[in-house]
Amino acid sequence: MVNFAAMVREHWVNVLVPLGFVIGIYLDRWNDQKLTAFRNKSALYSRELKPGEEYTWK
Amino acid sequence: MLKILIPTIMLFPTIWLSPSKWVWTTTTLQSLIIALVSLSWINWSSETGWASSNLYMGTDPLSTPLLVLTCWLLPLMILASQNHIKAEPIARQRNYITLLASLQTFLIMAFGATEIIMFYIMFEATLIPTLIIITRWGNQAVRLSAGTYFLFYTLAGSLPLLVALLLLHQNTGSLSMLIIQYSQPMALSSWGDKIWWAGCLIAFLVKMPLYGVHLWLPKAHVEAPVAGSMVLATILLKLGGYGMMRMMLMLDPLSKDMVYPVIALALWGVLMTGSICLRQTDLKSLIAYSSVSHMGLVAGGILIQTPWGFTGALVLMIAHGLVSSALFCLANTTYERTHSRTMILARGMQIIFPLTAVWWFLSNLANLALPPLPNLMGELVIITALFNWSPWTLILTGAGTLITAAYSLYLFLMSQRGPLPQHIINLQPFHTREHLLMILHLLPVALLITKPEIMWGWWY
Amino acid sequence: MSPYVITILLSSLGLGTALTFMSSHWLLAWMGLEINTLAILPLMAQHHHPRAVEATTKYFLAQAAAAATILFASTINAWTTGEWNIYCLSHPAATILITMALALKVGLAPVHFWMPPVMQGLTLTTGLIMATWQKLAPFALIIQMAPFTHPLLLTTLGLLSVFIGGWGGLNQTQLRKILAYSSIAHLGWMIIVTQYKPQLTVLVLITYIIMTSATFLTFKLMATTKINTLAMSWAKVPTITAMAALALLSLGGLPPLTGFMPKWLILQELTMQGLPLTATMMTLSALLSLYFYLRLCYAMTLTISPNTNNSSAPWRLQNTQATAPLATLMIMTLLLLPLTPLAQTLTN
Repeated sequence: MVNFAAMVREHWVNVLVPLGFVIGIYLDRWNDQKLTAFRNKSALYSRELKPGEEYTWK
Repeated sequence: MLKILIPTIMLFPTIWLSPSKWVWTTTTLQSLIIALVSLSWINWSSETGWASSNLYMGTDPLSTPLLVLTCWLLPLMILASQNHIKAEPIARQRNYITLLASLQTFLIMAFGATEIIMFYIMFEATLIPTLIIITRWGNQAVRLSAGTYFLFYTLAGSLPLLVALLLLHQNTGSLSMLIIQYSQPMALSSWGDKIWWAGCLIAFLVKMPLYGVHLWLPKAHVEAPVAGSMVLATILLKLGGYGMMRMMLMLDPLSKDMVYPVIALALWGVLMTGSICLRQTDLKSLIAYSSVSHMGLVAGGILIQTPWGFTGALVLMIAHGLVSSALFCLANTTYERTHSRTMILARGMQIIFPLTAVWWFLSNLANLALPPLPNLMGELVIITALFNWSPWTLILTGAGTLITAAYSLYLFLMSQRGPLPQHIINLQPFHTREHLLMILHLLPVALLITKPEIMWGWWY
Repeated sequence: MSPYVITILLSSLGLGTALTFMSSHWLLAWMGLEINTLAILPLMAQHHHPRAVEATTKYFLAQAAAAATILFASTINAWTTGEWNIYCLSHPAATILITMALALKVGLAPVHFWMPPVMQGLTLTTGLIMATWQKLAPFALIIQMAPFTHPLLLTTLGLLSVFIGGWGGLNQTQLRKILAYSSIAHLGWMIIVTQYKPQLTVLVLITYIIMTSATFLTFKLMATTKINTLAMSWAKVPTITAMAALALLSLGGLPPLTGFMPKWLILQELTMQGLPLTATMMTLSALLSLYFYLRLCYAMTLTISPNTNNSSAPWRLQNTQATAPLATLMIMTLLLLPLTPLAQTLTN
């Protein structure tokens, strides 16, 4: 039987870096949302998207 | 960008909070995970050339290979220094890994920066951890003068760079790498402008290092512990090449005439430092001078400013980064057993460590640019670009290649072949860790040539 | 010294500086400077050590000479122009005289000679006051005067100070003298930009005060005034020893630390004013100072001294000093660079 309490005590630090991934990916997403809020909406450069084409830029 | 940067910052609490017997395992594992995730940067999906950007940082085809290399190097450094740091008190072990992780943090911010002043600040910020690694964990007393050389050579070059950058900022109004190539070309003709041109490049040429301002590098390499040598050879020298590629875009009209003496010095340096390698008795010093020689080729490739030159320079930088790091690791395994860097005292190692002799053989072949490894691709592309610029350069580059082969042979024969001296029979056998370290160095080198586009930059 | 006397002295020290800050009349400004000087003299001489008495005498003579010159020059100005106001200083001889007198008061380069020996004679606490608080009043006057002074004079003072501050510290083994030379070099950075952007002078002054206070408090905690004893400090307070190395590099102005901020902003201002050559000379002079900071780092943190500490007392004595100010100042010394925009806004 594995002693779970001891394992948690020894290895809980392994959570920190994955937690960093989660926070980082969340912040990146949030930033992308902010940066791409106006994509294909400019009066000068917007155009009809071809079928299957998603965005003019990412 | 943050998806790698924040986990790297989270490494600090991980290092300090993990129980003492798990410190090395945990940090190696976590940094390896970060390195594997960083491979996702290679998958570009951007029309503008810039990807995963926020307001201050982003990646593009030029910086991505270097960023991934930075992330890849941290677990290797931790693996390599495990043996000789293990004897120290636990707080110092944690301190050491913290320094290595902080170096990675600064390097990611340096390569990822989209603003030149931020790149400059992070370029300088890498000095402090490296200085501490060299002068605190080096072995001989000479390490102090090596640290002083390292710091003052770099700063004497890069402080004028700051003034030059601020002048550029005043002229163009912005230093953002995203838009600076669209700014109006400057009318540069006066003597002051020529000095400004030199100020923009000297910092990077010192960091590369160019022959003539290279004296800090062998000293720093010889005195640094293995992780210090690895990070110097792999990433820190490449900061110079990267910075030069970024700056060359802005120096345009003036560079055409100004680069002649620098190219001449760089190519002459390939020959000279190669010849210095031929009569070297110190293992680490030989590898360090071979780095200077390869970097001379890279500098030449960047300075002629053709797409091929840039591509070759970037490919050679990545390949050389991995291979010279592998050589330093091998030198360190010998050093940890014989406690000497003198080559003549540790000959004939093939008899007792046959597998390690294979690693030596492969790394030496990679270092002398054997086909089909990416080193060859980088060198060939640079040599072709230089030949196209002026056929006479072939004399220098061709002789340089020949000398590289000669000293690689010398290095291999001296360390692996020949009679085994009486005094080194009783050596401890190799650890699996060390073989793993070599595999993790050489496997990427072999795999990269199967898809070299990922380190071509944007010029293909 | 009795607490009542200390209270009176310290409050007069504050009074003198405040009086100079608030005055618009030269006579009142002069009075503030004199009160300030007179208040610190007993503090300097409180330990009846020959060096302390010598330092007090030297300081008194230098400050009295400077104050007399200020009085003389402002009288000339009042005589020729009929105006005592600080902002109405128009007589050229008077401006030059007053600038030089104020330079003597803070210890700028050609008239800096009193400063290292005076610092050497003081305790670390008084030295801290001397290196920080005593610069405030003269600098308040320098900033107000700068528009009327000849730019060549200020540039010469600045360049001479950074170079002499760097060179002078190179062969010192005494920490207080090294800090005195470091102070001279920083004063050079402050004075060079006064005419172009006085807000930056204030910013440099503030960051300099933060960094120097952190360094002085560290040395006080380690009870060390020489490089020799500094080398033993790793055994007493390892964490602070590690931090102090970074604080010294911050004083030297290495990039990711606070000390880079004032240098960066000053260089930016100088290049914007079309003075790249001066800017380059200033940056290269920073290398000189950096060399002796680096040597301190080597002795303190990066090597372990081969001689051993013979008494085991430092291990057993409990530290009774308050460490909260040191901790705060140390964090500010190391981590303020990302707050540069905030600092610029606050000083503008």
